[in-house]
Parts: sequence; C-alpha cells; structure tokens
Amino acid sequence: MKRARRIRISAAVASAAAVALAVTSCSGGGTASDEPASTENPVTLKVTTFGTMGLDGLYEQYENDNPGITIEATNIDTGGNALTDWKTKQAAGSGLPDVQAVEEGWLGQVMTVSDTFVDLRDHGASEIQDRWVPWKTAQATDPEGRIIGYGTDIGPQGICYNGDLLEDAGLPSDREEVAELLGGDSASWKDFFDTGKKYEQETGKAWYDQSGFVWNAMVNQLPEGYYTADGSLNIEGNTELRERWDLLADAAQSGLSAAQTQWDWGKGQAFVDGSFATFVCPGWMLGVLKGQVEAAGGDADSGWDFADVFPGGPANWGGTFLTVPEQSTHPAEAAKLAEWLTNATSQAAAFEAAGTFPSNIEAQSDPVVTGQNDLTAFFNDAPIGEILGNRAEGVEAQFKGADDSVIQEQVFGPATIALDKGTDGQSAWDSALETLKNLDLK
Amino acid sequence: MSTLANQARGTGNPRNGPGPTADVRPPRRRPQDDRRKRRRHSFSRFDTKASPYLYVAPFFLLFGLVGLFPLVYTFIVSLNDWDLLSGAGQWVGLENYRVELADPYFWNSLFNTFSIFLLSAIPQLVVATFIAAMLDRNIRAKTFWRMGILLPYVVTPVAVTLIFSSAFDEKYGMINNLIGMLDIDPVSWKSEVFPSHLAIATMVNWRWTGYNALILLAAMQAVPREIHESAAIDGAGALRRFFSITLPSIRPTMIFVIITATIGGLQIFTEPKLFNPSSSALGGPNREYQTTVLYLWDLAFNRGDFGKASAVAWMLFLIIIAIGLLNFLLSTTIASAETRRRGAPRFGRRRRNPRGIPIDTIAAVQFPAAEPADRQEPKP
Repeated sequence: MKRARRIRISAAVASAAAVALAVTSCSGGGTASDEPASTENPVTLKVTTFGTMGLDGLYEQYENDNPGITIEATNIDTGGNALTDWKTKQAAGSGLPDVQAVEEGWLGQVMTVSDTFVDLRDHGASEIQDRWVPWKTAQATDPEGRIIGYGTDIGPQGICYNGDLLEDAGLPSDREEVAELLGGDSASWKDFFDTGKKYEQETGKAWYDQSGFVWNAMVNQLPEGYYTADGSLNIEGNTELRERWDLLADAAQSGLSAAQTQWDWGKGQAFVDGSFATFVCPGWMLGVLKGQVEAAGGDADSGWDFADVFPGGPANWGGTFLTVPEQSTHPAEAAKLAEWLTNATSQAAAFEAAGTFPSNIEAQSDPVVTGQNDLTAFFNDAPIGEILGNRAEGVEAQFKGADDSVIQEQVFGPATIALDKGTDGQSAWDSALETLKNLDLK
Repeated sequence: MSTLANQARGTGNPRNGPGPTADVRPPRRRPQDDRRKRRRHSFSRFDTKASPYLYVAPFFLLFGLVGLFPLVYTFIVSLNDWDLLSGAGQWVGLENYRVELADPYFWNSLFNTFSIFLLSAIPQLVVATFIAAMLDRNIRAKTFWRMGILLPYVVTPVAVTLIFSSAFDEKYGMINNLIGMLDIDPVSWKSEVFPSHLAIATMVNWRWTGYNALILLAAMQAVPREIHESAAIDGAGALRRFFSITLPSIRPTMIFVIITATIGGLQIFTEPKLFNPSSSALGGPNREYQTTVLYLWDLAFNRGDFGKASAVAWMLFLIIIAIGLLNFLLSTTIASAETRRRGAPRFGRRRRNPRGIPIDTIAAVQFPAAEPADRQEPKP
C-alpha cells in the first residue's frame, strides 16, 4: 500500500516537472513583434560576420545611439566556415541571425533561395541604392528585382610586390616604375609573365606564389566567367578562358610559380624568405599579407609594397554584403542596423580597422580611407586607399552561378596545383574538364 | 533472469509477504477493500513485469530520437532528389544509389578509407599488444607508464591533426626537413596517395595505440597467473607463453578492440578533414586522401546534394554492418573451434562458476525445455 502510493506520488511529481519544463521552454522565446526598439521595447539583434570585416568596433556605438538595442555579434574565422554555418542553418530552417554577412563567392548559392531573404526595398533600399558602386547593388539584386543585401567591402585588385627582391634582380622597385614595368594602364597578363621570366632568369627564383590566385583573378575579370550571364555553364569551348589558361600554364612551366600552398605559405615563411616577388592583392588581402609576414617574424622592413596596376584590366575578388534573412523576428530593426553599418562613416571606420575597401562611394574618398594608417606604414607608405579607388574603376560585376565556388575549388583548384607541379597545360585542362563531368554540375 | 525464473516457480522471497497465489483468493470483506487489493495486486504484477523495460526505456527513447529517427529519415532523403538549400525535390527511388555506385569518386573514397584503415589498424594492434605485454610484466612505476601511453588519447584530435599537419608540410615541414638532411628527396605528404595515407595513419596510431594497449592490458591481467607459472615450470619460454597462453586468453577482448577499431576506422573524418586545413579542396587536391565520410560531407555541404550524400551515408552504414557481421561470424567460428579442441563442454565450466549462482538457475536458462512444468503459472 505504502509503496504503491509513493510511486503514484512520484509519478505525479515527474509529470508536473515535465509540464513545467515544457511551459518554461516555450516562454523562453522572444516576442515576434516588429515595433521600433526603445528602452520599453528592448530588441536583441544577432549579427554573424566572418574573417576580418572591421565592424566589431561599431556595434557598441550603435547600441549607445539606439536605446533598447542589444547586438549579439558572432564572427566566424573564415568565409568557408561561415558558408557552412549559413547553409546548415538555412537548410534547417532556423538559427539564422538577424543580420547575416554573405560573401560574393557564395552569392550564387544565396540567389537560389533569394526569397528567404528580406527584400530591403521594403525598408528603404530604393532611396539609398546610389550609395554604392552600381555593380555592387546589381550583384545583390535578384532576378525579380528584389534587393537582398547592402554592400560592405569590395575587392579591387592591385599587385603586391617585394621591392627588395626586384632591386636584387636589377629591376626598378619604385611603385610608379613597377606599374610602368608591368604595362601601366594597358598592362596585360603577357607583360606580367614576361617580366616574371626576366626576373626568374636573373635570380632563379619564382615570380608569384602559386597559380590558383592568379587564375582566380584571370577568371574574375572576364565579363563572363564559369557561367554565362544567363546562367549556363561556360567552360568547355570557352576560348577566352582557354587562352588565359595557356598563358598561365606557360608561366608555370617556365618556373614562375613558387608552388606554395594557398592560405598557408609555410605559416608565412614564404613571404619573408624570398620565395616569390609578386602577389595578386585585392584590398582585403593586404591585411592577410601583413598578418602572414608578421606570423613569420617579419615587419615593415620585409620589403612589401603595393603597385597601382593590374594585368588584364580591372579585377574584383570577393567582397561582402549584409543581408536580413526572413527568419529574423525584427526585420525592420535588422535592416536599419545593416543600413547604418554600410553608411559612409561606418565603412570608413571598417577600412581603418581591417583594410576592407568600401563599396560605399562616399566612403571611398573619405580622408580616413585615403589617408595614412597601420597598413600604409607596412606597405612602404603606399597610398593604399587611393590606389584601391583607382583599381575599383571600371570593375564590372560578373554573374556568379550556383556552383561557382565549387568549380573554383574542386575543378580548377586541383588543375592549378597540377600546373604548379609541372603538368602541361593541355593535360591539366583535360583533367579539369573530366572533373567537371564527374561532379555533374549544371 | 533468476528472479523472474524464481517467481515464475512461485518461490518468491518470503520477505515480500504472501506471494501472488495468496493474493488471488483473499478472505471476503468489503467490496471496495477487495477492489483496492485487486488493484494493488495488478500493480505489483505490472511492476514486476514492466519495470525492467521502463528502466531501460530512457536509453531506447533517446536512441529512437537521435539514432533511429535520423537513420530512417536519412533513408527517406536518400530516395529523393534533395537539395541542401531548396529542400526536397522529386522522388527518385534508388537512383541516387545507382549514380553513386557508378561514381569514381565514391569508389576512390572507399579505397582511401580502407587503405588508411588497414595502414592504421594492423600496426596499431600489433604495437598495442606488444606494449600491453610489456606493461603486464613486473616493471617499476606501473601507473606512470600506464598513464603515459594514454596521454596521446587525452589530446583532442583537432590539436593532434594541426601539429601533425604542420610536421608533414611539404615545403616547410619538420619531417621533410629531417629526411632532407639524409639526402632523401622531399615526400609529397599532402598530394600523393600512399604518403598521405601513411601520414594520416600515423596520426590515428599515435592517438589510439595507447588506448587499445590499456584495454588489452586489462584483459591480460585477468589471465590467471597460475597458468603462466605452471607453463613456466613445464619449460615454456616467455615467447611461447605469450603465444600459447596470453593471446588465446585475451581473444574476446581482442575481437572487441578490432570491432571498435573497424567502426572508428571506417568513419574517419577529423584527421583527413584537417590534414590540410588551409585548402578548401577536401581530402587532397585530387582526392588523394578523401575518405568516405569526408566525401559525403563534401557532397552534402559543398555540392549541396543531400540526396546523394544520404545514399552514401546509408551505403557506409551497410558496409559497417557487413564488416561487423563478418567479424562476429569469424569470432564465433574461432570460439566454437576452440571449444571442440578443448573437448570440454561449456556447461561443465559453468558448474564450477565462482559467482555462486545456483546451478539449477543456469540449467533453467540454458535448457529451458528440460523443466517445462516449472515455467507454468502455479494453479491455485
């Protein structure tokens, strides 16, 4: 009797506890209203960024200017990991933040599900869209004309070079002279590689770090890359692409590539031991280069400089957008924050913090961007902001297909490594096409 | 089991009061009292019958939630053309399986998985057995040595991989520098098939050898010393005793270690994933060390093809089950061959069992048909 009652009581306690748990877990969720935030109506905004976007210092200011707003920021180490994070949450249908940073490289994938992002025209995007360089806004506009992202940085490319190494090879090391040497305004890839061959004959050393980045630049600056503008694959039989491939293959065969591992460079060693003399540099790469040199124990005396020239015409690599996923419970507040983070003052501050060159036109000529900072000091006092502004001129947005990043990494990644290891251009190209076929991409 | 058998025979513990037999026929009193008694009786029957299941239920509920449900759901996904981002597409039946079975990358990943598995499991078990045999001897500072070999296991695999990855770097790595001093050409640890498998197997071995050695050591310590002593008196050397006494005695543990090593080996992910962390191409520029789990991750999260990734996951699952069954069959064959050779029935050994379980209980369990009357509910 006693035992039975004890069990009945404990069963009652257990079920009460279960109900209590269920109730509290429900009440844990936030309110889904979209009234403006105030001290009476506090709103928490989640922001996910990646790499070094230079926004971290701005959140506190926004919180102070907007009572009731709390920003919970997450920064993911690399763009690749951020992509996985976004994809997982997108696929799961929950967990996305209020403001999600999206990289240009995966914009093609984002565009396949663009209807799960808030149309920022509902929050005033149309009035401010002249704020950015036109092609940036065009990239963030989906086929139905919805604007789903505000531009932060862009990646106009210049040439980083090591002045000391060029001097040792009897070549000019002055920034303007180097630009002239590589062909100035009409610089072509042929000029770039021919100069490299001279350097190689003189020193026996490689000209650039590895073929992958050079190839990315070559593809990105074409009006149409791996995809045509209407979204069909554009690799087999693409003579423009193939011509560039042959140039690159010839360069690699002539020993111009140092065959480094990209994103590794022997933990930065290759930047200080003279393995190579030039490096393709989008704006955000300048900070990466500085970090690599410093990781290997180098500093501003390591000889790196930045020239206002780029072979084959203007080129853009990368850049980011701030988007508001439909999952956000506070889309209006989120759009407001994204708007503020991409205005001229914020973008100039982001450049100062991380060297990310703004897509905001007004910010590009801001004294903070064109002036001196840590980065200019590292690059032999090169006027980085000014150079990047020049490099951004004439850049056209290239259509990125859904599998653009897969093609870049899984098709041409192995093929450019093969070039660096001495495979001839024809076989490397053939194997790339075979990989493309095996991957069954459309 | 023995409790159930005892109660079934009506010989319940007297401390529990009258058994079920007495409860069925109570002296007649007030009807509600009778009802209460009957309820109490049925509850205690329910208690005896259902409690064991209730106690193990939490595990199975959790397993159903995080094990069985994903398993079944993955199977359903694998029958669809399922994009990671846009979700379920068309029902395609077994098409994903057909395509994957014809995909050279799938077979390449299987080859890599088995190659790395064999390169790691075999040396690992040999070395682990040797270390265990050494630790089984009378050495000073036993605990120090035993803890020492477990240390690599304590380090997180991510850290291990990052350290080994930098040591195996092709241009700046320590290992290529060292062999460069011996005038050997640098090895392409990260872009050639066999060297990369060797490098990854090294990481796996470094981590798991000590762990397996400890398990084998525990088994070796359970081998009665008397057998060793009498064999030694009979003139058997250390080597002979190892092969004729130690190895046969630890066979069940050895099989356990082999099965867990197989499952772990076929699911290898962290080491190849982080072996070249800066590269976005998974498992080597030309998939030199892309294992099956890495391949399915690539399918799901880089190429966004959830349907095919799920099909690969299921095929891997079936392969692991097949190998598990093979292990089981092999081990039972070996075990029964062993019994035949000794000529002694297992029953005879149990009769002398040291745990003091009544022999008739064992008999009831082993030969239920021998006492059919006992298994029936006693009649009032």
